[in-house]
Amino acid sequence: MLKSIKPKKWVVAAYLAVPVALYVFTVFAPLVAALFYSFFEWKGGPVKTFNGLANYTQLIHDEVFWSAFWHNIFLVLVCIIGQIGIAFIVVLLINSKVTKLQGIHRTFGFFPSTISAVCIGFIWQMIYDSKRGLLNYFLEAIGKDDLKKVWLNEPSLVMLLVSIPLIWQFIGYYMVILLSAVSSISTEVLESAEIDGATGIQRARYIVLPLIKNTLLVCITLCVAGNMKAFDNIYVMTAGGPGYSSMVMAMYGYKVSFEQSNLGYGSCISVGIFVLALAVIGGSQILMNYFMTDSYDRNEKKHLKQIEKERKQAIKNRKANA
Amino acid sequence: MKRKLVSILLATAMVVTLAGCGGSDAPAAEAPAAEAPAAEEPAAEAPAAEAPAAEEPAAEVPAADGELAYSGNISIMHFSTSEESEGNGGSDGFRTCLAQWIGDHANITIDEEVLANDDYKTQIATRAAADDLPDVFLLQGMNTINWAKQGLLYDMTDSINSSPYAANYNMDYLVPFTADGKYYAYPALTGGTCTVVIYDEAMWKEAGFDSFPTTWADVEKAAEYFEGNGIDAIAFGNGGQWQLNSCFVSCLGYQYTGTQWFADIIAGTGSFDTPEFVAALTETQRLFHDTNIFNEDFNAITNEDAREYYISGDAAAFIGGNWDASYIQASLDGDPKYDTTKFAVLPKAADAGKYENFQNIGLGYGMAISAKAAQDPDKLAACIDLCQYLTGTAFSEFVGANYALAGFCGSDVDLSKFDQYTQDFYNFSYVDNKGCEIYDSYVDGSVWSVLNTEMQEMVNGDKDPATVAADTEAAYKAYLGQ
Repeated sequence: MLKSIKPKKWVVAAYLAVPVALYVFTVFAPLVAALFYSFFEWKGGPVKTFNGLANYTQLIHDEVFWSAFWHNIFLVLVCIIGQIGIAFIVVLLINSKVTKLQGIHRTFGFFPSTISAVCIGFIWQMIYDSKRGLLNYFLEAIGKDDLKKVWLNEPSLVMLLVSIPLIWQFIGYYMVILLSAVSSISTEVLESAEIDGATGIQRARYIVLPLIKNTLLVCITLCVAGNMKAFDNIYVMTAGGPGYSSMVMAMYGYKVSFEQSNLGYGSCISVGIFVLALAVIGGSQILMNYFMTDSYDRNEKKHLKQIEKERKQAIKNRKANA
Repeated sequence: MKRKLVSILLATAMVVTLAGCGGSDAPAAEAPAAEAPAAEEPAAEAPAAEAPAAEEPAAEVPAADGELAYSGNISIMHFSTSEESEGNGGSDGFRTCLAQWIGDHANITIDEEVLANDDYKTQIATRAAADDLPDVFLLQGMNTINWAKQGLLYDMTDSINSSPYAANYNMDYLVPFTADGKYYAYPALTGGTCTVVIYDEAMWKEAGFDSFPTTWADVEKAAEYFEGNGIDAIAFGNGGQWQLNSCFVSCLGYQYTGTQWFADIIAGTGSFDTPEFVAALTETQRLFHDTNIFNEDFNAITNEDAREYYISGDAAAFIGGNWDASYIQASLDGDPKYDTTKFAVLPKAADAGKYENFQNIGLGYGMAISAKAAQDPDKLAACIDLCQYLTGTAFSEFVGANYALAGFCGSDVDLSKFDQYTQDFYNFSYVDNKGCEIYDSYVDGSVWSVLNTEMQEMVNGDKDPATVAADTEAAYKAYLGQ
């Protein structure tokens, strides 16, 4: 960069100071505060009693929290398949030569992700409504009255039912991200594959997927992070019910903190959510890296590592001999 | 140089703009209409019943008398928003009296923070946690013991006993605001029932009952008739989880336990794990799970949805609180159903040994003063004066004359000015039936959170009543052992 237009270090630092200060204040400080308060018995007043790791011991033995955690994991899995999987298929369809009005598809596909989660919750609550809902109306219309249910009062189905709105809402969001990644793939590569006789599915599996691997990793990270803190639309639709059937970690933390005025334990739950979310994100990235690398690449990587090891050993030996 | 100047100016503008997003010491604006209207929660949590204004002009609110030495600011936080006060007697009376008091004390500036009910509960809990309560605020009954123990509240015992309105106070309303024999708030707003059966007399006549049945067995018989006509006997909504506690069990329970059991619970010497309470839960489970009395989606809809079933004729009756009675009144205005809508207490359960015409009524919120505000004697005197005025004769006369409602301070109500619906509801609430306590005005949210959540599973048939009682008992013991 030309020296005349290159900003001085202090100018860069000054510009960065504001967002960094905001970040520290809004993200880092609450996290540290939650960690601090998680070591206290704090029932919602100025009196806080240090109780060491008692909250964490309680957390480890808290069945409701762990059932909420598994509900979050269920959400993550369903949404990775539903949101990113469907988004990927939609992207391939939109990118297909036969698809007309691609811009309109993109716009309307993205539209649900602009609606607030609370509104989405209300919309789907109306769809599931047992007396006036679209779902039961449809079942009645096709003569399947026996399948009609009070959908949101079915403990075995409710997690899946609250996941569907989340999938519906975010397909468009991931579609836009994946679309930009797919657009960057050279058409020559795809055309060559087509000439070589690769089918659409083969092109998607062996060309598109490996080339957008990094973008997919970003999408999965966003999806995991988003669903580990799911709260609003579930709160609107079921408030975690019936009973604890659709309770997720963030809602349990809210309930403990504000309904039960147990802010110390609520802080401990927040820390638990943070740690578990990091672990799940890390785990998902390792899994993704493993599955997105085929056996040839894995062997190649191993082989390269071996060569590097041998090279280092040779250098070491040479130095020792010298 | 110019570029540097522009950069500095832009950076400064950004910082100033961001700083503008922060808090301010200025009085907070009222919650805009867009914010959710105050949640309609149990009377313990919800503002009092709406009732139509009397046909005659509204009574004048007498001036707040007495000179106060204090000059300065008083912060107050409440949930009587302007939207909430339209047609709602308690909120209207509160706002009217507050405006009058402000007008009469020009040397005192009131910093008013008004939030919708749901937001209020979260906000006041957060402020309490930060030891930053406003000078005067509405205290929810269930928080009294914990907050008093934490030293957040000013002891009001002497001021209540020596209040100029003391002779007219209904001292029973003070129970939720009492801890260790001391009073911590002036019961505010208006007393309203939390459990009322609202039914269409004409529909029940068709089913063979001149008035609402007095036993659940008869309700079951009627339910068969209504089912044949494609409607539900009684509409109920427990989607928010609190409704079954506040609007059903809190009243039905008394048929099994009598009044002493809950008095012991309040005192910290009782137990939820008793045969009587388990029997009450068992009957609740039977009524909701094993009979066809209620709408099948009771666990998936709220009371707001359920009352629409009644209004639209999809249900012959509805069980809810005073806030539902006033909503139904407003919605049915001009409809023939308005004249045939009547009120009843919960029917008798077959195995209940202590049945009476129970309806749970009380004042769930009281005006409290923070311990910090009490450090300045002049300011404290002004705060006490404000609390006394907002719960005194000026308030009770206003709500009595305009809405046929009663508050902490008694007043005569001329019922002849009101229509039959209002008269019937007044008699139901204050004259004809025996009042019992609203469970969640007392004890602690940690206990009710467990009971409410597990009862939702219980009425689905997924949890047995004894387990629910045992888990609630465990939460109660944990609370007592704090």
